[in-house]
Amino acid sequence: MARFHNSDALSQALTRRGFLVTSVGASLAFGFPSAAEAAMDPATPDGIPPAPAGPAFEPTLWFAMDGDGMVTVNIIRAEMGQHVGTALARILADELEVPWDKVRITHVDTDPKWGLMVTGGSWSVWQTWPLFSRAGAAGRLALIEEGARLMAVSPEGCRAEGGAVVAGDQSIAYGEIVRRGTLTRRYSPEEIAKLPIKPASERRLVGRPVAALDIPTKINGTARYGIDAKVDGMVYGRPKLPPTRNGSKVSAIDDSAARNVKGYLRSIPLEDPSDTVPGWVMVVAETYPAAIRAADLVKVTWVAGPGAAVSEKDLQDHGTKLIAQPDAGAVLDTGGGDTQAAFRAAQSSLEQTYTTATVLHFQLEPVNALAFEKDGLFEIHTGNQWQSLIMPTLAKALGRPETSIVMRTYLIGGGFGRRLNGDYAVPAALTAKALGRPVKMVLTRADDAQFDSVRSPSVQTLRMCFDKTGEVTAMEHHAAAGWPTQVMAPFFMPKGLGGAPYDPFAIAGADHWYAVGAQKVRAISNDLANATFRPGWLRSVGPGWTNWALESFIDEAAHHIKADPVAFRLKLLTGAGRNAGSAPSAVGGARRQAEVVRRAAAAAGWGSALPPDTGLGLATSFGQERDMPTWVACAARVHVDRKTGVVRVEKLTLVTDAGTVVDPDGARAQTEGAALWGLSMALHEGTAFEKGLVKDTNLDTYTPLRISDVPELDIQFVDSTEDPVGLGEPATTVVAPAIANAIFAAVGARLRHIPITPEAVRGALPKG
Amino acid sequence: MFRRILIGLVGVLIVGVGAFAMLSWRSAIAPVARPSPAGFAPDLVARGEVLAGAGYCATCHTAQGGKPYAGGYPMRTAFGTIYSTNITPDPETGIGSWSEAAFQRAMQQGVARDGSHLFPAFPYDHFTKLTDADVAALYAYFITRPAVRATPPANTLPFPLNIRALQAGWKLLFFRDGPLTPDPIKGAEWNRGAYLAEGISHCGACHTPRNSLGAEERGKPYAGAAIDNWIAPPLTKANPSPVPWSRDELYAYLRSGVSQHHGTAVGPMSPVVHDGLRKLPDEDIRALAIYLADVAGSDARLAEIKPAIERALAADRAGAGAQTDPAARLYNAACASCHYNGGDAVNALRPELALNSAVTLSDPTNLIRVILYGVTAPEGAPGVVMPGFAAGFSDADIARIAGYLRSTRTSGPAWPDLDKAVATIRAQGNHE
Amino acid sequence: MTSFTINGRAVTVDVEDDTPLLWVIRDEIGLTGTKFGCGIGMCGVCTVHVGGRATRSCITSVAAVAGAAVTTIEGLDPAGAHPVQQAWLALQVPQCGYCQSGQIMQAAALLKDFPKPTDQDIDAVMSGNLCRCMTYVRIRAAIKQAASVLGSDATHG
Ligand code: FES
Ligand code: FES
Repeated sequence: MARFHNSDALSQALTRRGFLVTSVGASLAFGFPSAAEAAMDPATPDGIPPAPAGPAFEPTLWFAMDGDGMVTVNIIRAEMGQHVGTALARILADELEVPWDKVRITHVDTDPKWGLMVTGGSWSVWQTWPLFSRAGAAGRLALIEEGARLMAVSPEGCRAEGGAVVAGDQSIAYGEIVRRGTLTRRYSPEEIAKLPIKPASERRLVGRPVAALDIPTKINGTARYGIDAKVDGMVYGRPKLPPTRNGSKVSAIDDSAARNVKGYLRSIPLEDPSDTVPGWVMVVAETYPAAIRAADLVKVTWVAGPGAAVSEKDLQDHGTKLIAQPDAGAVLDTGGGDTQAAFRAAQSSLEQTYTTATVLHFQLEPVNALAFEKDGLFEIHTGNQWQSLIMPTLAKALGRPETSIVMRTYLIGGGFGRRLNGDYAVPAALTAKALGRPVKMVLTRADDAQFDSVRSPSVQTLRMCFDKTGEVTAMEHHAAAGWPTQVMAPFFMPKGLGGAPYDPFAIAGADHWYAVGAQKVRAISNDLANATFRPGWLRSVGPGWTNWALESFIDEAAHHIKADPVAFRLKLLTGAGRNAGSAPSAVGGARRQAEVVRRAAAAAGWGSALPPDTGLGLATSFGQERDMPTWVACAARVHVDRKTGVVRVEKLTLVTDAGTVVDPDGARAQTEGAALWGLSMALHEGTAFEKGLVKDTNLDTYTPLRISDVPELDIQFVDSTEDPVGLGEPATTVVAPAIANAIFAAVGARLRHIPITPEAVRGALPKG
Repeated sequence: MFRRILIGLVGVLIVGVGAFAMLSWRSAIAPVARPSPAGFAPDLVARGEVLAGAGYCATCHTAQGGKPYAGGYPMRTAFGTIYSTNITPDPETGIGSWSEAAFQRAMQQGVARDGSHLFPAFPYDHFTKLTDADVAALYAYFITRPAVRATPPANTLPFPLNIRALQAGWKLLFFRDGPLTPDPIKGAEWNRGAYLAEGISHCGACHTPRNSLGAEERGKPYAGAAIDNWIAPPLTKANPSPVPWSRDELYAYLRSGVSQHHGTAVGPMSPVVHDGLRKLPDEDIRALAIYLADVAGSDARLAEIKPAIERALAADRAGAGAQTDPAARLYNAACASCHYNGGDAVNALRPELALNSAVTLSDPTNLIRVILYGVTAPEGAPGVVMPGFAAGFSDADIARIAGYLRSTRTSGPAWPDLDKAVATIRAQGNHE
Repeated sequence: MTSFTINGRAVTVDVEDDTPLLWVIRDEIGLTGTKFGCGIGMCGVCTVHVGGRATRSCITSVAAVAGAAVTTIEGLDPAGAHPVQQAWLALQVPQCGYCQSGQIMQAAALLKDFPKPTDQDIDAVMSGNLCRCMTYVRIRAAIKQAASVLGSDATHG
C-alpha cells in the first residue's frame, strides 16, 4: 500500500496549484478550476492548499508527505467549528511522529474514493481514531525502514522522533528520506489492522494542547465559507418559497414589478425530478441585493401542498393521539420484560408527559450554494455535512450520473446538523442548469428559517412503577416526533421488535443505562410533522427531547418515592447485565455514568444549604448511542424570582467522561458550546408552527442565548485512556432537565415543557 | 427642511376680499442690468457668504442634485407643493435684474421685485430684523454667484390659494417689520446671539409653534413645534431633557453637531449645523449659545446636571443584564452596543438615551424616525453612522424598542398607540 | 455613485444608493471577511467600523457612508495582529468562525470606549453579536486579555 507517488496526474495537479497561488488575489474570484484542485486547506488564505515541495510519499489514502517532511492529512469531515481537522490530523501525526508545525490538513471533495462522507453524531473522532492511528503507524514504520537503510543501520535499532528517524547519535529527517529514498514498503489490510498503537504514555500530540489549524484564518477574514464562493460570470439567486415545504405547485408568476429593479434577470419556476424543492421559484439577478429586492416584488400564486393549515398545537395533539394508540410506532429491543404485568402488580406508579417546542437551527451562515457546469462536470460549491446523502438526490434532480457531479468543500458557518440535509444544493443546481450559467443562491435569514429542517416538536409520556419497598420494577418511555431519518435517509433506519423500522436519532437516549426492571421504549413517527415540514437532525437530535423527558422524569420519580435525586440515580446505575458495557467503546458501562454523576454532584456542592428560592438540579446522559456512550452529568444552580417567574441560571457544572480526550481544548470548547446550546433551548429559544410555517424567522422575535445570558461554567473531564468517543453534542441534552430539576428544588414548580418561560414558571408555582 | 408651510392659507380668505385690492398692491421695482461682480468688495461678499450659510439659503433654494441656489426645491404642504425660487443672478429666471433695493424689499418686506407678495415659506418675518448692512452683504454674495438659468416647476397650490395677493392679508395680521431692538440690560454677546437667532438664523421658524394661519405664535416663542415630520423640541424651560442645555452643550452642539449629553443634530437640524452655521465664527456660535441658554433658563439649572447623568447611567446599567423581557432583549441586541455607557461618564458618541429629547419628548416622532432611518455620515456626528432599522424591523419591533426606552429611561407617561405611530411615520418615508 | 474609503483605500462605487454597505463590501469590493447573518442588525456578523465606530453594515445603506472611513476585518491591523486578534488566537476563541469577524470588530471598538471593561460593559456592548457556536466564555476572556495587553502598552508608552 505504501508507494512513492510521482505520477503524472499529481505533477499536473501541482502545476495547476502553483498557478492558482500566484494568480488568485484576495479580491479576485475564488474557485477550484478543476477536479484536481479539490481540496481546501483551512489554514491558508482563501483555502488554497500550498504546493508540496517535490514529489510526495503517499503510503495511504489519508496523507502525503513531501520532500520537506510536511505532512498533508486528508480530511473527509466538514469543518464547522469543531476543529475536526486538527483533532483527526493529530491522531495520525502522533503515530507518525511528526511535530505539529509539519502538519497541514486539506478538506477533500466528493471523490468516491473517500467512501461515506458524513459529519455528525459526534462520530468523527470515534470513527477515525482506529483508521488514522494505524495509517500513521504504517507511515512511521515505512520511514524507519527506509531511514535505516539510508543510514546503513538495522531498523531494529532505530526509532522515530520529532519528524526524523534516529539511531544512536545518527538521525535522518523524514523529508530527506522522502527525497532520497525509495519508499516501497506495502502493508496488507490485515497487517495494517494488526499494527500496534502507541501506549497512552508515549503520546505527544493526542491529549496535549496544540493550536487548531483552522483558527488563524478565522480571525483575519480570509477563511472561506460557502457563502464566499465565487466564479466568473455568476449571477445571484434568491428563492420565492412556497406556502408549504412539501407538495406546493406554482400556478402563476407575476414579475412585472420586479422588472423595474436594476439587475433583475428572471424568475424561474424550478422543475425538480427529485421533489426536493417543490413549488420553488428562483429569482435571479446580477447582484444579490437586486435579487433580494426583486424577490420581494415578484408575486407567485401557488396551490399549497399538505400542511398549509397546521399549527404547533395540531402537531402536539397528533403526537398525543399517537401515543395513546398502543400499536403505533416501533418498540426497541431493550432486553424485554413485561412492563404491563409489572404495572399491574405495582404498589405505586407515576406517569408524566413532557413536550418540547420546535427549534430552529439558526446556524449563522444562511444556507447557500454556488452551482455551475464546467467541462462536463457539474460543480456544487458549498458547505455540507453529509455529501454522500445529497449526491444521489442531485443526480436525480439534474438527470445526470453522480460521477459527473462533484461537491466542493467549504468551511461551514455553523452546522449543528442543518447541513446534514443538503437540500439547499438542489435549487442552486437546478437554476444553474435552467439558466446555463453559474448561479449562486443565498437564502436570506427569513428564507433560511422558513426552509429550515427544524427540530421537530415532541410529545413523550413516561411511566414508572414501584414495589412496596420503593424499588423500580418497570419503566416505559413513549416518544412521538417528526422523524428526520425516515424522511431523508430511510435506509439508515434499524428495525425494532417485530420488524418495524424506527428513526434511531429520534429515540436515542430513551434506551438508557438505568436498571429499571422491565423496560419498554417506543418510538413513534409523527406523520403529521413529517408531512408538514422536513424534520431535521439538530445538535444531539433525539436526546434533545428524550433526555429532557427522561431526566426530568427520573427526578420526579425520586421525589415520588422521597429519595434524593442523586442517590436515586446512583442506585439505578448498577452497571449490571445489559448495562455492564462492552468493548471497544462502552467499557465500564453504567458505572462510568455513576461516576460522572457523583463527581458533578460533589463539584456543585450537592446537599449544601442554598439561599432562598435557589436550587440545585442534576441530570445525566450517555449521549446518543449505546455503543458510543459519552458519559456526562450536569448540575445547574438556579435562582427563581417568584414574582416574575424569571429563572436565572447561576452556574452549570459539567463532568464528562469521553474516554481519551484527543483535543483537550477543542473538547472544552465543544462542551462549552453544547452546554450553552442546552441552556438556550431550555430557556431562550423555540418557535411554533402557524399555518404550516414557523412563526419566528429572524432574531427580532427568535431569541437564542446571547453573551449576557451566560452563567458561570465549571467544565471537567474524567482522565481516561479508554477509546475516545464523541463530544460535540452530549452536553446539550443534560442542561434543560438539570435546570427544570433545579427550579423544582428552588421553588417547587415542576416544568414539563421547553423552552421554560417566566409565565410557565409563575403558573407552576405551588399555590399558597 | 423647512417644508412646513402655512396650513392656514385658507383662513386668509376670510379676511375680506374687498380690502385686498388696496392692501395687496405693491409697485414693481424697475429691472436693472445685472451688476458686475467686480463691483463688489471681496470682504462684503465674504460676509454675505457667512450670512447666507447662517440663513440656510442653500438648503431651501437648491433642489436635490441641482445647482446651488437655482431653486426648485419642493416644499410639500397639505394643499400642494411650493417650489423655491432661483436666487442666482440669472436675469430672466433668477434675481439678476433685481436692484439692491428690490432685494432688500424682498428680504425685509416679503415682496418680490415685480410687486407680488412672497409666500411666508420664505422667512422674511425674521429677515426683516437684519441690518441693512447685512442685507447688502447678502446681496453682494448672491449677485456674484454664477448665474444659472433654471425655472422652478410651477407650484401646485390650487386656486385660490395660489393668489399671491392674498398674502397681503396674512401680513396685515401677523407681520411686524423692522429691526430688532437690542436689550441694553444684556451684554453684547447676548445681543449678538439674539440678533442671529431671531434674524438670519430664524430659529423660531421651526421651534416656535404656529397658529392656524401658519404664523408663529407670538405668545409662545420657542415652545417647540412639529416640522417636516419631525418634532423641533422646545428651546425654553419646557425642553424635556433631564440635563439642561448649558452654554457649553449648546456651543458644542451648534459648532460640531455633537453634544455630550443631548446627542447629535439629526433630521432638519443636521443641515442647520453642518451646512448652515458652519461658516459662522466661533464667537457667533458662542453668542448663539449664550442667548439660547438664556431662553432655556439653563444658567440657573446647572446643579441638575450631575444627578441627572447619574440617574441616566444607573438606568443604563440596570438595563444591561440578563433579561427575559422580549423588548429588553431586542433593545440590548439592536441598540446597546452603541448606546450603552454604563460607567460614570457619558461618551458623546454613545448618545445616552435617558438624556435625549427623542426619548423624553411627549411625542415619539423623533425617536421613531431615527430608529427607522438612522443617521448618515454627513449628518449627526460627522463621519459616523447610525444604521436604520426600517428594512428589517416590523412596526411592532420598533414600537417595542420605543416603548421600552420610554418606560425604562424616563418618568414620562407611556406613548400611546406606538404601533400606529410607527406605521404612519414609515408611510411618510425618509424623504429629505 | 458613492465615494468613501475602505481600509485606507479610496473607492467609488456605482450602485443604487440604498444598497446595503455589506453587499458592496463583499460583492463589489470583494472583501468577504465581513459576513451576512440576519440582515436586520441583530446578529453582528456584518460589523465593520465606520469612522472608528462599530457599525452593522447590513442595515447601513452605502449612501450613508459617503465620505466616511470604513474599516473591515481585513484592515483592522495590517498584519492581522491587533491585540484583540492576538487574544482571540491565544485563547482559541473561534469555533465555526463565522461570527468572529464581527465579534473582533465589535470588541476592538469596545476597548476604545471601555479600556478596562467590566463584565457588565462586555455584556451590554457585545450582546448584539450572536455566536451560534456559543463561544461566549472565550470571547469574554479574550476581551479581558486584550484589554490588559492594551492597558500595559499604554503605560509603557
Ligand atoms: S447580518 Fe448584520 S447584524 Fe446580522
Ligand atoms: S464561532 Fe460559530 S457562530 Fe460564532
